[in-house]
Amino acid sequence: MEGNIYQMGQVIGAGLAMMGAIGAGAGIGIVVSGAVQAMGRNPDFAGTIQTNMILGIAFAESIAIYCLVVALLILFVGV
Amino acid sequence: MTASSNNRILGIKNRYLVLVLLIGWAVAYNIMPPVLVHIQLPPEELTHPVQLPILGKFAFTNTMAAMLLADLILLVLAFAFSRSARAALAAGARAISGVSGALEALMEALYGLTETNAGRWTREIFPWFATIMLVVLVNNWLELIPGVDSIGILHADEHGYPVQELAFGTTLVAGDAHHAAGGLFGLVPFVRVNSTDLNFTVALALIAVVMVQVFGIRALGVGYFKKFWNTSTLFTKPMFGVIDFGVGLLELVSEFSKILSFSFRLFGNVFAGSVLLFVIGFLVPSFAQTIFLMLEFGVGLIQAVVFGMLTMVFMSQAVVSHHGDEHADPEGAAAQH
Amino acid sequence: MAALGLNLGYLLVQMFSFLVMFVVLRAWVYGPVLELLAARREKISKSLEDARKAEELRERTEADASKILAEARAERAKIVADATYQAEKRAADIIRGAEKEREDLLTAAKHEAESKVQGALEELRPQIAAIAIAAAGRIVQGALDDARQHALIDQFFSGVREGKVTILEGEALSGAAAVVTSAITLKDAEKEKIKQALSDKLGGSAKVSFRVDPAILGGIVIRVGDHEVNGSARQTLQQLQESLR
Repeated sequence: MEGNIYQMGQVIGAGLAMMGAIGAGAGIGIVVSGAVQAMGRNPDFAGTIQTNMILGIAFAESIAIYCLVVALLILFVGV
Repeated sequence: MTASSNNRILGIKNRYLVLVLLIGWAVAYNIMPPVLVHIQLPPEELTHPVQLPILGKFAFTNTMAAMLLADLILLVLAFAFSRSARAALAAGARAISGVSGALEALMEALYGLTETNAGRWTREIFPWFATIMLVVLVNNWLELIPGVDSIGILHADEHGYPVQELAFGTTLVAGDAHHAAGGLFGLVPFVRVNSTDLNFTVALALIAVVMVQVFGIRALGVGYFKKFWNTSTLFTKPMFGVIDFGVGLLELVSEFSKILSFSFRLFGNVFAGSVLLFVIGFLVPSFAQTIFLMLEFGVGLIQAVVFGMLTMVFMSQAVVSHHGDEHADPEGAAAQH
Repeated sequence: MAALGLNLGYLLVQMFSFLVMFVVLRAWVYGPVLELLAARREKISKSLEDARKAEELRERTEADASKILAEARAERAKIVADATYQAEKRAADIIRGAEKEREDLLTAAKHEAESKVQGALEELRPQIAAIAIAAAGRIVQGALDDARQHALIDQFFSGVREGKVTILEGEALSGAAAVVTSAITLKDAEKEKIKQALSDKLGGSAKVSFRVDPAILGGIVIRVGDHEVNGSARQTLQQLQESLR
């Protein structure tokens, strides 16, 4: 039975860790919103803006990925 | 006729081929449902580990197999490219066709990108950028090869699944563990994507960050360390001097955090991707995994570009003096623009 | 660390692999790529230079062509102007020649007509005299002989009596030219007399010309400048008519 409680803690902890993805999601939304507005105003630089947008998304996403790594660590490594 | 022949494989139109494959996939799922393999962070060992004097436990892991595979692919690519590039040079810089042409176009784009950032240091920084980008890209895209992560040796595991003999091998099957006659087994794949091994990403991140410092020292000499230990304004401007000193210490911390963010960004993306593929393959066995493979294709490319580009940008920043107006390096400052 | 799978040996293997790849790629990919890029850039700049040169050449040729064209145009305009001038001159000459010919013809015709008229009038004179004598003979019943008759008629027509121009007597005339009008053509002797009389009055250099105007019926009218000495029969008749009224 204690194994079950341990597993429950793991699962809940991993779920809580993934709450960090909220910020990353909001961040990606802001990045894309700004980039799309910039592209709309300045279609000539759409290529450059898109490259920078993807980079920005990757940085924002990496925060979510850290959360995911922590969650996966909790689930599979079992601290 | 060429247009229609492009849409055919083995004389069958592609769409019908896709339909047949989907139906076959669904039928196979009903006969033999896929299992969720055991997920673990460290790479699986393929050989018995030996104890080395300083390094500790050492074994040939499946990520090392992926590393060798990726290295082999890169070697073949590089060799083919070098041959066609020499031929093209001999023929008066004519265009290269095929995969080598694509590689050349990629190299040209990366070189242009480096040139806009690094200026004078382009020729030194570009090889690091391109190597990191290519190595990470090939390692990431290994995930798309069928059989990677799914073909391997079985070993006895109490959390595993029963096995079933097939015509050309043995496979894991889902089933009641208690009624299994031959015991339970887990799968150790022969090849596991290198980027899901922290050793690879940390090694890359260490090399990248160390090379950033090396470039900084080569460009600015001992003056580079003033970025981290900034006492120049500590006594001239009491308040801001302290702040500058603190900023310098933060720079030092950020160099270490770069290693962490580099390695965990790549590792997390690819590892999460492969876990996602396992879970999707287990939950929706037919068709859905294809879409996520396409997603992994994009993620692999973006992570390779991001890793390489960040390294390049950090190197470009390192060769430029941090306080350009105080201890000037006109050449470095000019290179920045 | 072990839970994460980090292992110093694995780490070093990965680093070694990366560095090997770095060296290999540097030798087999980056070197050729940079050479290729440089060669291509050089080629592009060379072809750009070639294009610029070709452009320059083309521009120069175009300028030459337009210059030649302008010259040809100017020459053409000059030739056309010359031709037009010549043609106009020719036409004007022809017109002038034609006009002159016409005028000559006209004057010749006039002269001929005048001389014909003169001739006719001279032929007429004896007849008029004969008629007048016949008429007078009826009236005067042969009181006048033939010679006397002729003298009277001559006197009537020429205004010259006994070698003198009667109407000029007592007249003060001055001027450079005089026009003498008579009803019929005067004889040369009469003309001479009138001329002499006029040159006595006006001075030797005065020009005298003679006209014939049958409308004055008889006698002569002498006009010098604005002054007119009227000794015509018509004038006499008019005066008679006025006095009879």
